[in-house]
Amino acid sequence: MFKLRDTRTSLIALGVGVSVAIMGAFSHAEPLGLGETATEEQIAGWDIDIRPDGKGLPDGRGTIEAGEALYEERCATCHGLFGEGEGRWPVLAGGQGTLKDERPTKTVGSYWPYASTLYDYIRRAMPFTAPRSLSDQQVYDVTAYVLYLNEIVEEDFVLTKESLASIEMPNKDNFFVDPRPDVKNTRCMDKCADPKKLMIAGTLKGITPVGHFVEGADAPAASHDAQMEKEREEEKLRKAHITGEALSTQHKVKAASLSELALAGKATYEGACKVCHGSGLTGSPKVGDSDAWSARIKKGMPQLLDHAIHGFSGDTGVMPPKGGRVDLSDKQVEQAVAYMVESSQ
Amino acid sequence: MSKIIKGPNTRELMEQMVQESEHLSINDRRDFLRKGVVAAAGIAATTFAGRSISAEINPANLPPNEPAWGKQLGHGVVEQPYGLPSTFEKQVVRRTVPWLTADSIASISMTPLQDLKGIITPNGLVFERYHGGVPQINPDEHRLILHGLVERPLIFTMEDLMRFPSVSEIKFIECPANGGMEWKGAQMEALQFTHGMLSCCEWTGVPLRVLLEEAGVKPEGKWILAEGADGAHMSRSIPLEKALEDTLVVYAQNGEMLRPEQGYPLRLLNPGWEGNTSIKWLRRLEVGDQPWYHREETSKYTDLMPDGRARKFTFVQETNSVITSPCPEKPLVKPGFVEIEGLAWSGRGKIKHVDISFDGGVSWVPAKLKGLVLDKALTRFSLVTKWTGQPWLLQSRSVDETGYVQPTLSQLREVRGGNSIYHKNSIHTWKVAPTGEVTNVQIT
Repeated sequence: MFKLRDTRTSLIALGVGVSVAIMGAFSHAEPLGLGETATEEQIAGWDIDIRPDGKGLPDGRGTIEAGEALYEERCATCHGLFGEGEGRWPVLAGGQGTLKDERPTKTVGSYWPYASTLYDYIRRAMPFTAPRSLSDQQVYDVTAYVLYLNEIVEEDFVLTKESLASIEMPNKDNFFVDPRPDVKNTRCMDKCADPKKLMIAGTLKGITPVGHFVEGADAPAASHDAQMEKEREEEKLRKAHITGEALSTQHKVKAASLSELALAGKATYEGACKVCHGSGLTGSPKVGDSDAWSARIKKGMPQLLDHAIHGFSGDTGVMPPKGGRVDLSDKQVEQAVAYMVESSQ
Repeated sequence: MSKIIKGPNTRELMEQMVQESEHLSINDRRDFLRKGVVAAAGIAATTFAGRSISAEINPANLPPNEPAWGKQLGHGVVEQPYGLPSTFEKQVVRRTVPWLTADSIASISMTPLQDLKGIITPNGLVFERYHGGVPQINPDEHRLILHGLVERPLIFTMEDLMRFPSVSEIKFIECPANGGMEWKGAQMEALQFTHGMLSCCEWTGVPLRVLLEEAGVKPEGKWILAEGADGAHMSRSIPLEKALEDTLVVYAQNGEMLRPEQGYPLRLLNPGWEGNTSIKWLRRLEVGDQPWYHREETSKYTDLMPDGRARKFTFVQETNSVITSPCPEKPLVKPGFVEIEGLAWSGRGKIKHVDISFDGGVSWVPAKLKGLVLDKALTRFSLVTKWTGQPWLLQSRSVDETGYVQPTLSQLREVRGGNSIYHKNSIHTWKVAPTGEVTNVQIT
């Protein structure tokens, strides 16, 4: 069915726009000879995909122990120590039995049909700020640990090519191919509904970003999602209160006392730096955390700026040149650094 | 002029409904949704400034005076070597909803449909969606590898690809989450946010079929994995049938090279299918005998049903339509002649009809299709009528060439519940108040 030559033949039979080799015209039946043969080495470097049957998996041996250390260092800032997710970053664990709920929690354990997807995704895209930075072995370790967080494997489980492909995910059988069209409306023109029974619902107040309607208005953060997040935060605070655990609260950035340089850096911060410095990702000093910043500020602005522009490896983490955003000008980086420093004193 | 309201009863009822709805407010949406009690909300008393006109008008520039620009010279050629819109159009921009995603690097922005004309989206306003920020790719260093179940694995430079005979096609591209914020209730008081994950361009490139012929697909080849070169390395499995039918490997949009946000220098385009299958910054195509089940086709982009099971490979964007004028951003300003305009589209082909209702779907009148009516492209519709200050519950309903009629929200919810996130293509309602103000409501 997919043999190209057959398809072409049938198209010709139907007379559907297929070029014919007449004077000066060119038949596509023969290759155009464009492009080079890709070498095995070239393909191997980019061929990173994994399939449910294990095709594509490299050699390796992942353990929960090694995965735990790596997870806490590289993943927990966003995904939470137990895979519970920080802020709006994805929740990785839990949620079993919630798929029919009003608010389902879709996680690796509750939703994902195949364990191979986890290896594939971590390998191609994680950690978010440094994709393709983990070795194949490290991907095995982290994958094993995330499966463990989901209670899919036991503590002594060793993840290999063979064992990964044999894992049965709990939700595996609950996916089915798109059956659409699944609803049938008709093109009724008159008396299509009983006007007495029409029910009209409007929007909730204060969800739509209105910055473009009224100059200077803030985008309000109220929504189904935001409401969920708020409740999660409240629940965390409540639990912390019970256990006496200290919880870092969201740092408020004070806009009132910022210099002109710093104010100019706010947009760059929001667009480029916040992804790490807003949450302390990859060991970065978090904006508003004066303790984390004071030692750095003491070394002086020139050094701070030099590290921001040219990159720096510290005890707690790595600052890539311009945070990986080489498209930023030095001036923009300077402004953003000023913004972060002044907001963290 | 069409006779809009079919009889006084309907009209009276509608006025009454609109009046009643003004006095109700919703304190707890979840309660409201659970109980199925319907009320209309206290609408935010936002004024739609857009480009505020009255405050900035200088009478010295109005007739009979000679305006300032008629008494001086403007700038010369190539002062703007790449032309930009007038500074008076600075409100026409993409916008995002900050609470939707954790960070703007893996997020989405929407097209200002309310400000656009015709069916082509200007390149700078095409909606953006990416998962690891926009990479800055040197086209001379970009490569496309085509391998897997093929006779001859190939690696192409951009120059190679641009030597293939090219095609140019006008196609829409839509995120399957377009309107997804509205499954459980009306949320967004703006067309840009209810429908703006939608754009339409003329795309230029090579049919994927041609590249596959060049490499020679082995008989057991059934699926293709497409992968991006950016940090997210976005990947999707595409059935070979689609690739042979109309998938394009694209390097230009609307006459110029792709914009970085749209995949410069190379992207895939699967016409009529959910936007994220059209992998941007395309670097690799692998032919295989089965799908890969990657993150963006399992964890995401699967549609959760009320029974806890989920639909997979929900590729097609079914027919949809929306009225773009009036809309919350473009209210009716004064009684009299008004052209109701909007956009309709279908991932299954051409638009056949669009009907408009002024009474919340009780009665319908056919609209006119304007300009080009193309396969899997935005199609503009129009209906000229008169507004005398009466309240309207405005809706549009499209029918595509397969005969599929755009469904009501109730029909969709009945089958799919409220947690499927994607593919909400139901009839949309704008409530027009006697003041001309337009708000987003849902009718069930």
